[in-house]
Amino acid sequence: MSEQKHSWGMAIDLDRCTGCQACVAACHAENNLSVSDAQSAAKGRAVHWIRVDRYYEGEFPDVRVKYRPVLCQQCDEAPCEPVCPVYATYHNDEGLNVQVYNRCVGTRYCGNNCPYSVRFFNWFDPVWAEPLQLQHNPDVSIREGGVMEKCTFCIQRISRAKDDARTEGRALKDGDVQTACVQSCPAEAMVFGDLSDPESRVSQMAKSGRATQLLGELGTKPKVFYLERAK
Amino acid sequence: MVPPTISSQQVREDLWRPLAGASRRYTLILSLLCAVTFWGVLAWGYQIRVGIGVAGIRRPVFWGFYLVDFVFWIGISHAGTLISAILRLTDAGWRKPVTRAAEAITTFALMIGGLFPLIHLGRVWLFYWLFPYPNSRLLWPNFRSPLMWDVVAISTYLTGSLIFLYLPMIPDVAQLAQFAKGWRLRLYKWMALGWSGSDREWHALERAMKLMAGIILAVAVSVHSVVAWDFAMAIAPMWHSTIFAPYFVVGAIFSGLAGLIVALNIIRKTMHLERYLTPHHFGNLAKLLLLMSLFWLYFTFAEHLTVWYGNEPKEMNVFGARVRGHFAPEFWVMVFVNFVVPFILLGIKKLRSITTATIASVGVLLGMWLERYLIIIPTLSLPRLSAAAGKYSPSWVEISITVATFAAMAALYMVFSKLFPIVSLWEFEPHEQEEG
Amino acid sequence: MNLYLTGTFTDKKAAAEAIKQLKADGYTANDLAVFSDEPVEFPRGVLDRSSHMSLAVVLGAIVSFFLVVGFVYYTQHDYRLVTGGMPIFSFWPTGVVFYEITMLGSVLTTTGWFVWESGLLRRNENVPIPPIEPEMICLRVRCAPEQFVSATAILEKAGAKNVAKLEKAA
Repeated sequence: MSEQKHSWGMAIDLDRCTGCQACVAACHAENNLSVSDAQSAAKGRAVHWIRVDRYYEGEFPDVRVKYRPVLCQQCDEAPCEPVCPVYATYHNDEGLNVQVYNRCVGTRYCGNNCPYSVRFFNWFDPVWAEPLQLQHNPDVSIREGGVMEKCTFCIQRISRAKDDARTEGRALKDGDVQTACVQSCPAEAMVFGDLSDPESRVSQMAKSGRATQLLGELGTKPKVFYLERAK
Repeated sequence: MVPPTISSQQVREDLWRPLAGASRRYTLILSLLCAVTFWGVLAWGYQIRVGIGVAGIRRPVFWGFYLVDFVFWIGISHAGTLISAILRLTDAGWRKPVTRAAEAITTFALMIGGLFPLIHLGRVWLFYWLFPYPNSRLLWPNFRSPLMWDVVAISTYLTGSLIFLYLPMIPDVAQLAQFAKGWRLRLYKWMALGWSGSDREWHALERAMKLMAGIILAVAVSVHSVVAWDFAMAIAPMWHSTIFAPYFVVGAIFSGLAGLIVALNIIRKTMHLERYLTPHHFGNLAKLLLLMSLFWLYFTFAEHLTVWYGNEPKEMNVFGARVRGHFAPEFWVMVFVNFVVPFILLGIKKLRSITTATIASVGVLLGMWLERYLIIIPTLSLPRLSAAAGKYSPSWVEISITVATFAAMAALYMVFSKLFPIVSLWEFEPHEQEEG
Repeated sequence: MNLYLTGTFTDKKAAAEAIKQLKADGYTANDLAVFSDEPVEFPRGVLDRSSHMSLAVVLGAIVSFFLVVGFVYYTQHDYRLVTGGMPIFSFWPTGVVFYEITMLGSVLTTTGWFVWESGLLRRNENVPIPPIEPEMICLRVRCAPEQFVSATAILEKAGAKNVAKLEKAA
């Protein structure tokens, strides 16, 4: 059976997002993210591959709060890729910006060049307070200190789904792959799928009149579409 | 009034006196400097052992003091370029007593600056992955990355500088070998390569130096452009500026000159070379420093005017922080010591002296360090997505290593000036020295 | 068996005069050497030594350029780089590397050519070297034994001091 060519993408409906941060927690659980204590977090060392940015608009009492979950946009023209001196980050043929932990020597140039600030660095070897280390996902490696990391669009789930589909002798269907954040969103604001499949939900949402791209003017060609009502 | 010329015997005595033995004061100061350097080495070892998190860097300020120091020291290394290469090429005779001192600064500053790409690495034990060597994993470095350009450029410049320092030392060590004993004799003889002072050797040396001067100048300009491109190639606000390459080269020559003036004043006092490093030399260096100060001001103004006029929101965010906001104290101190102080102390003829030139130079060294700080930190702490903004403060590890590099520079210089005459004997024409 | 004869001058004009006379007498530039503790500039035509250093350095630079471009091009292709869509070999971003290695090549060529052209490491052990005295210009002449007297006369006429046969240092 010929290999399908996928182009993974995500759509996030900002009009549905409540800012509950379930996606953040799910990502932590799925990807073995290190847990910071209060001191490290205050020093800006906390790692959240997906984070919910919160902006306030307007003056009291007409204040509006806007939430935007920001994760690695898996840019097709990623500014982080050309600057890595050891090719630890590159674009794979499914449109993902992959970070090779074993190759990273920790120059952190990629982190500086990411306009979305979605890259995180392991300042130390991670330590989990008991009993959190028992909760690790065996499909995801633990990153040692000195290595850069970021959202991978749950590439382990993509690989698992592709393996299952191959075992069962069928093609991947829309909805087979769900990243942890998408899976856990209670408002069903997030959709993940194959942008190269015109029938997939994510493709439909990307074509919506409400679809925008974050910092699209930079020409990074991100794969995350934010749907919001124009004012 | 023209002072009487000094006999060649006296010149030799004066220039070689510092090489004989070490005074109490010398030993004490060198020990202190070595102790400070050692503390820095310990701090680095601690950082490697425990993790780079012991430094103050954090998201989004992924680069902090180490990169500031890196750019600063590579900038200092342009001392030699200016004096040796540019002045040599323009045949400015007054540069002669100053060339070796300048070249020594260049070489040591490069060695120190070249350490920082290692110090700031997250996994420094894998630094060799940046070199293209055959390996079984079929991995290769990415020459597209400005950091790889750094590796190549600094290696080339260091090699060139070492050679540029060494070649004109050959006639001097050949002469020293005639009078030396013990391990010094072995060292000088080995370094002299059998130099006999024949015209064939002199011609070859002079030709080589002329060529090297041109090559080194070309390399030095490229090296600091490459360092500038570490920042300019990124799309971070106020980094992605076309002016960075020439701006950094000008700033480097500026800071290198300042470093040279400070070093020369110390050498002059401690080695009693007042007759060789004269007010005339310092006067010329001071005028050059003033010129570079004006150059620096011009570039800084052009950069800031362009950003301010363009009014791009993300850039204005950083601009405001530098000029009015959180970084304003550092910014205005920088402008004061980089422009106002040199302009007054060196621009007004009555005020221009060796002392004021040194004061201005110390100020410039501080100012140029601050300039590098202000280029790196504000941009990184105010990224495009403001939710990711963050403040940076250095930790004791970064401060220790920074201070240690200054101590290391001074220590290396002290050792060098004890082994080799800091003023080149053969380039220094005794019949012309007071005319300068 | 050739002899080596030296005479010391304090004035470079006198030394130049002596050299002119010696050349008129049939000596070539290879027979003559001037030793000093500082470079001595003679007027053109007195004791010119041909040099190909500039040419060698330019050639060295060109060779380095082609070597580095070839190295980068072939290794980047051979190593099957995973660039993820970026071209395997791109000239302009890699241009800095090419430039630096070209300059490195010219630096190394300069150094190597200097060591060669100066004759520093090629010294013949049997040729004696006069000691360098400060501010003195020492002219060494290689002559056949029968020319010794005439050469001595030329040197003394030009004003040389301590004209004597140079023995090899023990």
